[in-house]
Amino acid sequence: MSEATELAAAASSTDPRVGLRAVLALRRLLESLETLQVDNARRQGWSWQEIADALEVTRQGVHKKHAGRRPAGTRREA
Amino acid sequence: MFERFTKPARDVVIGAQTEARELRHRHVGTEHLLLALLRGDSIACTVLRDAGVHPEQVSADVQARVGAGPDPLGQADAEALRSIGIDLDAIRSKIEETFGEGALDQPHVCEEPRRGLFRRQPRHVHSASPRHLPFTPRAKKVLELSLREALHLKHSYIGTEHILLGLIREGEGLAAKVLTDAGLSLDELRTHVLDALDRAA
Repeated sequence: MSEATELAAAASSTDPRVGLRAVLALRRLLESLETLQVDNARRQGWSWQEIADALEVTRQGVHKKHAGRRPAGTRREA
Repeated sequence: MFERFTKPARDVVIGAQTEARELRHRHVGTEHLLLALLRGDSIACTVLRDAGVHPEQVSADVQARVGAGPDPLGQADAEALRSIGIDLDAIRSKIEETFGEGALDQPHVCEEPRRGLFRRQPRHVHSASPRHLPFTPRAKKVLELSLREALHLKHSYIGTEHILLGLIREGEGLAAKVLTDAGLSLDELRTHVLDALDRAA
C-alpha cells in the first residue's frame, strides 16, 4: 500500500484504536511542548501568574504542575 | 581535574550522560557511571563482568528502583499524529531551531524558583541546550574520589579503574546499592580491581 492510501485509510478509520492512539500522541506532544515553554518562560523571569494567564489556567494549577519539577535525583540517593 | 582523565575514563563520564538520557533521567548519578563503566573493555569493565555484573541487569535494577522518565514521543506517536494530519518531524525541527537539538525529547530541568532575598536578582538565562544533564552530588563525589584513588596509588592519570574504586569508596550511591543487592562485596570488588592493576603493571 502506498503511503498516501495508507494515510487516507488511517485518517478515515473508524477503528477507535487508531483515533485514540492519535489522541494519546497528541497529549504527549502537548505535554512536551508545555514543559518546554513553561521552563522557557520561567528562565526568562515570567511569574507563575503570567504563565497561567497565557495558558488560560489558574496560577495554582500551573504552579502545582510545573513548580515541583526539579532535577530528578535531588530527592533520591543517587 | 579532567585533564588527568584517560580517554576511556572521559568516555565513561560522557557515556554516563548517555545512559541517563536513555533512561530519561534528569540527572547523572552513580548508577549511570556504573552503567557507562560496563560498556567497553577497560580494566573496570573486565573486573565487573568477571564478578557477574552485566549492564542489562544493572539497568533493570536501576529502573526497578527509580523507574524511567516519561515516555518520549516515539515512532508510533509520529505515525498516529500523521493519521490526523500532524507532521511531528516538522514540529520537532521548528522547535529545535529555537531550543536546540533534542529539545522536544529531553526531560527539562526547571530551576528552583528563587525566593526571598534572591528573588530580585536578575535571572540567569541558561543556554537553550538541554543536552547536558547535571551530575548528582554523589556522582561528583565519585569523580573526586577517583582522583584521590589515583593519587593514593601514585598514578599520574585517572583511568576507569580509578572511577570504579571511587564508586566503591563512595559506597552509598545507587550504584553501590545495586552491586551489594546483587550479592557482591564492595571490599572484594576493590581487591579485584587492585589485583587486576597489579597484573596489568
